[in-house]
Amino acid sequence: MNNMEFLKPASLEDLFQMTKAHKDEVTFIAGGTNLIPQMERGVESPSLIIDVSDLQEMSTITENGNIISIGGSVTIADIAADSIIKTCAPVLADAALQLGNPLTRNRATIGGNLADASPCADTAPPLMTLEATVHIADVDGNIKDVPISKFYLDYRFTALGRGDVITKISFQKQGKSQKGNFSKIGLRKGSAISVINMAILLDFDHDTCKQARIAMGSIAATPIRIYKVEELLEGKKINDALIEECGELVKTEISPITDIRGSAEYRTAVAATLLKRNIKKAIL
Amino acid sequence: MFEKIIENQDKPKYNVIGKPKPRHDAWEKALGKTRYADDFTQPGMLYAKVLRSEYAAANLISIDTGEAEKLPGVEAVLTAKDVPKNETVTKFGQTHEVGGFEGFYRVLADKKIRFKGEAVALVAAETPAIAEQALKLIKVEYEPTEGVYDPIEALKPDAYLVGEKETNLICSYKVIKGDIEKGFEESDLIVENTYKTQMVDHAYLEPESGVAWIDESGIIVIRASTQVIEHFRGIADVLNIPSNKVRVIAPMVGGGFGGKEDITVETFIALLAMKTERPVSLTFTREESILAHGKRHPYVMQYKVGVKNDGKLVALEAKLISDAGGYIYLSPWILMYSTVTAAGPYDYTHVKVDTHSVLTNNTFASANRGFGGVQPCFAYESMLDEVAERLGMSPLELRKKNYLHTGDALVTGRVLEHAVETEQTAEKALAALGEPSKPKSSSHKVGQGFASGMLSYGRMCFLHDTSRSYVSIELDGSVIVRCGVQDIGCGQCSSLAQIAAEVLGVPMEEITVYFGDTALTPLAGTTTATRQLYMSGNATLKAARAIRDTILKKSGEILGITPERLELRDKRIYIKKGPQCTTSYGGSRGDIISSEICVDINQDRYLDLVAVVKACAADGLSLSNLAQFNAPARELVDFTTGQGQVFTDFTYGTHALEVSVDTETGDVEILKYISCYDVGQAINPLSAEGQMEGGAIYGLGQGMCEDVILEKGITKTPTFAEYLIPTSMDAPDITSILVESGGGVGPFGAKGIGEPSCVPSSPAFTNAVSNAIGVRFYDLPVTAEKIMRALGKI
Amino acid sequence: MKTYPVKIKVNGKWKEAAVTARDTLLDVLRKKWLAYEVKNGCSEGDCGACTVNLNGKTVNACLVLALQANGKEVTTLKGIGTEQNPHPIQKAFVEKGGIQCGFCSPGMIMSSKALLDKNPVASRSEIREGLSGNLCRCTGYHKIVDAVEHVAKNNQS
Ligand SMILES: Cc1cc2nc3c(=O)[nH]c(=O)nc-3n(C[C@H](O)[C@H](O)[C@H](O)COP(=O)(O)OP(=O)(O)OC[C@H]3O[C@@H](n4cnc5c(N)ncnc54)[C@H](O)[C@@H]3O)c2cc1C
Ligand code: FES
Ligand code: FES
Repeated sequence: MNNMEFLKPASLEDLFQMTKAHKDEVTFIAGGTNLIPQMERGVESPSLIIDVSDLQEMSTITENGNIISIGGSVTIADIAADSIIKTCAPVLADAALQLGNPLTRNRATIGGNLADASPCADTAPPLMTLEATVHIADVDGNIKDVPISKFYLDYRFTALGRGDVITKISFQKQGKSQKGNFSKIGLRKGSAISVINMAILLDFDHDTCKQARIAMGSIAATPIRIYKVEELLEGKKINDALIEECGELVKTEISPITDIRGSAEYRTAVAATLLKRNIKKAIL
Repeated sequence: MFEKIIENQDKPKYNVIGKPKPRHDAWEKALGKTRYADDFTQPGMLYAKVLRSEYAAANLISIDTGEAEKLPGVEAVLTAKDVPKNETVTKFGQTHEVGGFEGFYRVLADKKIRFKGEAVALVAAETPAIAEQALKLIKVEYEPTEGVYDPIEALKPDAYLVGEKETNLICSYKVIKGDIEKGFEESDLIVENTYKTQMVDHAYLEPESGVAWIDESGIIVIRASTQVIEHFRGIADVLNIPSNKVRVIAPMVGGGFGGKEDITVETFIALLAMKTERPVSLTFTREESILAHGKRHPYVMQYKVGVKNDGKLVALEAKLISDAGGYIYLSPWILMYSTVTAAGPYDYTHVKVDTHSVLTNNTFASANRGFGGVQPCFAYESMLDEVAERLGMSPLELRKKNYLHTGDALVTGRVLEHAVETEQTAEKALAALGEPSKPKSSSHKVGQGFASGMLSYGRMCFLHDTSRSYVSIELDGSVIVRCGVQDIGCGQCSSLAQIAAEVLGVPMEEITVYFGDTALTPLAGTTTATRQLYMSGNATLKAARAIRDTILKKSGEILGITPERLELRDKRIYIKKGPQCTTSYGGSRGDIISSEICVDINQDRYLDLVAVVKACAADGLSLSNLAQFNAPARELVDFTTGQGQVFTDFTYGTHALEVSVDTETGDVEILKYISCYDVGQAINPLSAEGQMEGGAIYGLGQGMCEDVILEKGITKTPTFAEYLIPTSMDAPDITSILVESGGGVGPFGAKGIGEPSCVPSSPAFTNAVSNAIGVRFYDLPVTAEKIMRALGKI
Repeated sequence: MKTYPVKIKVNGKWKEAAVTARDTLLDVLRKKWLAYEVKNGCSEGDCGACTVNLNGKTVNACLVLALQANGKEVTTLKGIGTEQNPHPIQKAFVEKGGIQCGFCSPGMIMSSKALLDKNPVASRSEIREGLSGNLCRCTGYHKIVDAVEHVAKNNQS
C-alpha cells in the first residue's frame, strides 16, 4: 500500500530543515512530469516527497549585469516566454519552446529537466553551450556551484547528492557576436522526445569563429560537449568544406546507443546533418 | 430475403439527409455531460484489478491466492478454476452457424500462458489501492518456455506449440480463378515482392472500462465501453447462466475502431459481481490496454504479379500469412476479408490467393478498423506502383486499365452489381492534388503518390446478419428511436436521428435515440464491419416509413385525397405541388375537415403533424413500429476456390498525397492530402468528411510512425510515450471529396465509410515517399530512419 | 494509509477532500468530486484528456499531485460554458464537426481556450502547435483545427 508522505516547504530555509530531517528518504517533486509517470509505472516509489514547485526563491528569472539566473523551479513555459531569455539566451528559449507540448511546458521545470538526468533532456545542450553553472544546495543549505560540464557524471547519474536541490542555474548572456541555435529530431512532430538534440553557440570576430561551443544529447550516456568539433572550428573562417569536415568529425566523437527510438547509425547520421545545418544557420 | 431500400434513382431532394448537420450528441460532449463507462458509480462499488502474466510463453504451474484473500478489504480473488466456462469463443450477432468462424480464447489463463499480459487472476477490493496490493500477494509459479514469435517459424513442423492443439495454424483460405501458371506464361513482365505490415494498436482515447452489478431481479447488468452489447450471450455462457439473465448497456464509447469488438472487461466484472454480490468496476490502465486487447494483425505477404506490356494485369499470385498472436479471436473472419480483397479493386485474369492465420506468442490480434483490408492494400498498391514504374507507365494509367467497374466480377467470381466508382475517385483525387510543389531546398525532394482501396460494409453474407429498430411518434410530435446500436463516436445514433427526421418531417432536435441496452433497445447487432448505417439505418428507415404511412393515410382520409399526393416535412403534412394539386380537392378546406386541424398560410395548404398524430391515436392506430432489416443471406463460399459471394457491397476510394522528404534526416512533411470516396449518399456530409479525415490519419499512423514493438513477445511500447500516434502537428489538413453515386445498399443509397476510409492511407503515403526519393518500401512503418536506410545514408 | 486534507477551488467553488500523497489532481477531481468532464486516457501525461486550468495555466491533471494543487483554483470544461451560455469554442466544436467520440473534447476545448486566450487570432499552424499535447484518435484533427480557426477568425473581425 502506498504510504508515501508529502511535505511542502514555505521557504528555502524550511526546505533545508525538512531535507536535513529526512535526508535519506526524500525525493523532490517540481512539475512532476517525469516523477509521476515514473511512479505510475512503478519505476520510482518514494517514501517522502517534498514539493519544491511553489518555492518563491526558486521560481524567478533574474538579470544581474551580464549574468542571468533561472530558479530551479521555473517552468519551461516561463523560460520560453521570458523576454530576457528570448533576447539574451535565445538558444535556451529555442530549446524550451521545443520541449514536450504546451501542457508539459506549463508544469515542467528546468531543475527537474536537469535532475532527471536523462540523456535527451532538451535544456541540457543549450545550457552546456552557455557554460551554465548549476547551483546546488545540500541539506545544510550550503551551496556548491557546479559547472554544467561537471554536472552529468554518467548514465542517469549527476553531481546531486542525497537531499541536494538545484536552487538555480546561471550563465552569462549570449554576446552580440555569439550566434547560436537549438534543434532536435523526434519520432513525430508534436510532443516528441528527442532522438537527438543539439545546441551550438559560435562567437565570431568578423567572419572568423573565435569560439565554438557545441553540445548534443541522446548520443551518449549523458548530454555532452563535442570538443573536437569546437577545436576544429575555432580560429577559422567557416566555409562549406569546413562544415563538411565538422559533419564527418562529429560522427567519430559520439557514441550513441540503439534503442526503440532509433539505431546508433541513424543517430550518427542525423547528428552530422543537424550539426552542419546548425552551423550554416548560425553564419547566415 | 434481401431488401433493397433505395429512393427513386434520379437524385431525390431531401430535407435533412445530405445536409451538413452538427451531430445530435455533440452538445452533450462539448459541455462535458456525456457519461462514459468510467464516469459512473454504484453504491458499495468494488474496484477490480487484473493480474497479468509477465511471460509471453510459459506453463502455468500453480497459483496461490491465499495471502491476497486474507488482505483486509479484498472481497474476491478469482482464477481460471472459478470461471464456470473458461474456454469459450467469440461469436455474435449472426443468425447462421458457420463452421470455422469461432474465435477460441480463455477468460483467464490456464495450462499454458500464450502471450505477455494474459489475465491470470482477478481481484475485487474496497479500493483500487487495496486491489493493487492484493495482486502483489498472489503467488504464481510459471515454467517459462521458449515460445514462438514469428508466424513463419510457427508454421514449421517442429515449431513450439502455442496452444494445446498439434498445430499453430488456425485456418487457411484460397481464391482460385483461371490458371495461374498460364497467366504468368502469358505475362510480359513479372514482379515479385514480399511485403510486411506491423502490429498496430487502436489507441482509442478511452481505455476499456465497465461496471457490473446485480439488479433487483437478479439480472447481471454490465455497463461497459463496448462495440457489441450482444456479447450478453457469450457472457452468460461463460457465467453458465441463461442468456436472459445478462443485460449489457453500452453508454457512449470513447472510441472503438474494432478494439472493443471482443469482450474486454465484461466477463471479469460480471464474475466478480456474481462472486461478491456487489457492484464491481474495472478500467484498464493504458498499459493494460496496449498489452491485453487485440491488435491489428501483422502480415507477411508474398505478391507475384504478371502484366502485359500494355499494362493489362494478367496474373496475381499472393500468399498472405497473418500473425494472430496467442488466441484465435476474430482471426478467421479477418483473414477472410484479406482473402477476398487480396487483389484489390482490379481485374486479373488468373488469380491464386493462399492465406493462412497462425498462432504465436505475441499479443493477440483481432478486429481493427479496416479489418483485414488494410494489409493487402499496402501490398497490392505498392506492387502496382512498382509495376507501373517497370513498364514506364504512370501509376494512374496502369490502374485505369485495370480498375473494376460496376458489372465486373471480383476475383471471387462475384459480380459487382452495385456502384463501383474507384476510377472516378482516383481521377478526382489526382486532379485535386495538382502539380507538384517546388522542393524547398536542394536536400528536399517532393513526391506524389496515391492508392485506391476497397472494403466491404456490412458483414459477410453467410452470417445472415439482421438489425432491428423501433420508432415511435409521441402525442406531442416528438420522436423516439429505440435501437440497440453502440455509438462509438462515428455518429451512429445521430444518423438514425437524421433518417427518422427525414422520413417523419420533424427536426433532428426533437428526436431522442435510446441506444445500446439489451434490455430496452431492440437488438441491432454489432457496431463493427461498417454495418450500422447500412443495417440499422435501413431498419430505422423501414420503421419510420411505416409510421409515416400511417400518418399520411390518416391525413389522406382527412383531406379526402390519396396519401401518395401528400408529403411530410417541417412537422406538417403538405399537399405536393403538382399539376392537379390546386383543383383536386374541391371547395374550401372547411368543407372537408374540421378547422382546428387544417390551417392555411400563404395559400400553402397543410395539416399540422401533431393534430394528425392525435387523430391517429384517437382512432387506435399504431404510432410505433419495430422493423427488422435483413442483409442478403448467402450460402458459405467454397473455401477451396474462394468462389462465391462473401459481401453484399463495397466502398471504394482513393487517397492521394504530396510529400516533401528531407533526404538528410529522413523527415517527411505532408504537403497535401486528398481523400476521395464514393459514399453512395452522404447522410450527413459533415460526418462523412469527419470519417474520411479521421480514417486518413488513422491509416497514416500505420504508414508513418505507429508500431507495437515486441521482443520475444514482450511489448516495448506499452504507453503513449512509446506507442506514438499522430498529434495535431503530424496530421496534415485533409481535402475530402465526396462522390455520391447513390448506388449503395444503405438507406437512401448510402455506402458505409467508417472503415474503408483508412484502407489506402499507408500505401498512398509510401508511394508518395517512393516517388520523391526513387526507392521503394516493403515494410511498415516508413519512419525517418527507414528512409535514411533506403537512401543508403546509413 | 496516511491522508491529508486538501482544499481546491473548482469552477469557483471551494471543495475539500482527504487525499493520499500519491493521489493526483485527476484522481481527486474524478473520484471525490465527480468532475467526470475531466477524462483519464493514460494517467501519464501523454494524451491530454485530463487537461484542466490550474491557476491560469492548462495542465495535465494526471501530472499534478492533489496536494500540489492545495489552495489553488481549477477550472474544468464545465467551468467555461453551460448549456445556456456556452463558450464560443464549445459552439464551434459542435458546429464544425470537431467532436466524434468526444473523449478528447474536454481537454481539447480547454487547450483551445488557453491558446486563444493567449493568441486570439492564432493561425492553423499555431493552433496545431497549441493542441499538440491533446491526442485525438477520431477526427484526424482537421475539424478541430477548423473549429478553433473559426473562433480565431471571429476574434479578428
Ligand atoms: C508528454 C511529455 C513530453 C515530454 N517531452 C519532453 C521533451 O521534449 N524534452 C525533455 O527534455 N523532456 C520532456 N519530458 C520530460 C519532462 O517533462 C522534463 O524533463 C521536465 O523538465 C521535468 O521537470 P519536472 O519539474 O516536471 O520534474 P519532476 O518530475 O518534478 O522531477 C524530475 C526529477 O528531478 C528531481 N527534481 C526536480 N526538481 C529538482 C530540483 N530543483 N533539485 C533537485 N532535484 C529536482 C525530482 O526529484 C525527480 O527525480 C516530457 C514529459 C512528458 C510527460
Ligand atoms: S490522462 Fe492525463 S494526459 Fe492522459
Ligand atoms: S473525438 Fe474521439 S478522441 Fe477525439
